[in-house]
Amino acid sequence: MLRSLSSSHILGLVCILATVLALAVWIPLDIETGLIEKVRRQTSIGDSLLPTLACGFVLLGGLFLFLPGKDSGEALTGVNLRYLILLLVILAVAFAAMRWLGPVLVWAFTEEGVYRNLRDTAPWKYVGYITGGTILVSGLLAMVEGKVTVRGIVIGLIATLALILVYDLPFDDLLLPPNGDV
Amino acid sequence: MGILDYIGLGFLAVVQGPEIFGIPATLVMTLLGFLLGILVGATPGLAGPMAMAISLPILISIFGYTPDALLPVLGFLVGVMKGATIGGAVPAILFNTPGTPDAYMTTLDGYPMTQSGQAGRALRIAHVSSASGDTFSDVILILCAPFLAVLVERYLDLPEKTALLILSLAFIAAVIGNSVGKGLISLGLGLFAVSIGTGNDFYPRLSGGSPALAAGFSVTSVVLGVLILGEVFKGIEDLRQSKATSGKVARAPLEGAQRLAEGDLGRIAPFIGRSAVIGTVIGALPGVGSTLAATLGYASGHKLHARSGKTPSFGHGAPEGIASTEAANSSVSGANLIPVLSLGIPGNAAAVFLILAMDSIGGFNPGPSVFRFTADVVNPELVIAFGLFTVMMFANLLNWTIGGAFMRTIGFLAGVPKQILLPVVLLLTLTSIYVGNPKLSEIWIAIGFGILGYLMRRLNISPLPFVIAFILGSRLEETARQAFDATGANPFFLFTSPIAFAFTALAVLVIALSLRSNRSAAS
Repeated sequence: MLRSLSSSHILGLVCILATVLALAVWIPLDIETGLIEKVRRQTSIGDSLLPTLACGFVLLGGLFLFLPGKDSGEALTGVNLRYLILLLVILAVAFAAMRWLGPVLVWAFTEEGVYRNLRDTAPWKYVGYITGGTILVSGLLAMVEGKVTVRGIVIGLIATLALILVYDLPFDDLLLPPNGDV
Repeated sequence: MGILDYIGLGFLAVVQGPEIFGIPATLVMTLLGFLLGILVGATPGLAGPMAMAISLPILISIFGYTPDALLPVLGFLVGVMKGATIGGAVPAILFNTPGTPDAYMTTLDGYPMTQSGQAGRALRIAHVSSASGDTFSDVILILCAPFLAVLVERYLDLPEKTALLILSLAFIAAVIGNSVGKGLISLGLGLFAVSIGTGNDFYPRLSGGSPALAAGFSVTSVVLGVLILGEVFKGIEDLRQSKATSGKVARAPLEGAQRLAEGDLGRIAPFIGRSAVIGTVIGALPGVGSTLAATLGYASGHKLHARSGKTPSFGHGAPEGIASTEAANSSVSGANLIPVLSLGIPGNAAAVFLILAMDSIGGFNPGPSVFRFTADVVNPELVIAFGLFTVMMFANLLNWTIGGAFMRTIGFLAGVPKQILLPVVLLLTLTSIYVGNPKLSEIWIAIGFGILGYLMRRLNISPLPFVIAFILGSRLEETARQAFDATGANPFFLFTSPIAFAFTALAVLVIALSLRSNRSAAS
């Protein structure tokens, strides 16, 4: 049956189902106050009103998509979803390296052993950022060009070093990732 | 003391204040702020408010909390605000990545011009339009600030302000994109996103008990995620597909005339004029802001252009589209100071930092007392206000001179291969988000909203109503709560005053008319 619907109709259907679910389940279960709240004889607007209004707009928009009109024909395909998964994998690897490489190296190669104490000390504070940033830039470049190249890695290195120059060297109180979290 | 005396005193406050290397510090700081503003505006992923947020504590630590510090610090911030506005057109035109929501409409015609090899011409049109709108707005600010401020506050009470916000949102949902339905979906999602983790109750609503959601989403992560990351994700996929189908990565040419073509100025002048008036009027309204001005300016220019029947049409590389947007969003900057100075209400994020600077340094309390002309004694706040006007005019001069030179030379960036640029922009944006709020969870939230932005683009849903709804949503809820309380819990407060009723009726009408025009266009 779904095959006979246009992409706009499918989008409209998803919006209607999602808002019905939000209005029937999420909003009542996850908000303490209703649309209008009466506390100590004072009536005021409750926390549910804004999200309910938001759902109303989405629902109305979804219904409007069923009115006769021009269908732009834009739809998500399997190619788009595969691309998104690959993108998320590259981002996850890059940020895992950014987050954990510094602490692992400090643990393995210093007497201090604790990254938090060295998070504002070169070179430790740059290790994760440079590695993760380079993986991110070169990985995305490789995704476009179809292969990992030395050129891509060099571009990633230059980009991360340039950002260190902009953010870290002039300002003592700014922290590069991941140094605010560790 | 007449107005001419205050103009003179304001000028003297700028040139006779503290000095840096024998030059008035206020002028030096305005120039430095302007250069920084251009740089951050032109860098995708950075924006004026971010630079202002980082600079303000540094400036205060340099100049201290003395009255002499006010004008140099405000000069720097005004410089950043103006520089970022003009620079913001650069990534929008060259890379289709608007640094701010204001510049989104610039991408619609600017980027197609870059794709057809006319990046230099598009940048010059953006500069002329932006600087013209800015000049117009500054002149209106100086001439009308005291009177307009009083008028706006007299006629817009809480129910009217709530209705005005609803009208703004309805207008944006109806006008942006080519489907009212998709505009409303985008708007609703933005309002829903801003609801998460906020509210008046002790329990942060819709957070599901998760500490990450309990604090709500930061504006920076959401706006940069949807606008920049969404575009970067889509851009990378487009390049990947072009490489897969043609064997090479598509690249924008830089060919043909990069200068303004003959007749360009005459062609864009009516659009600049209209948008400058729209931007100035919107700027003078408290709490509405420059994004709505850009949207209305573009929509108004769209109609004018469609009537003339000229090609290319809006959205396909029309210079008039760039002119309409840039003149409108730049003309907000001057008029925006009307509610800032006279009421203390900011119209956009940049204005928030001006108020913050005034509050932090002291000696200037935005409010009705600022524009009190006293006959025998000097009103020091009015002197500061006229000093600020002098700074605005100086920054305007920089806009025409240095800004012009910058826009004439920056076009070469269009030649940088996009497959290199987009990943670097991604890293820069994520780093900027982290530097502003050092938590890795902010990066993942931005990536999440980037994916939402990507999906919206793939489904032909404009991300702009989402972004504006997210920015205005909290203000809408707060104003509605206050209006409800102030009218004695009257659920019909939107219909009790004629102005509020007119705004609400217009909101419904604009949706109905757009729906009808969508249907007639389809048939």
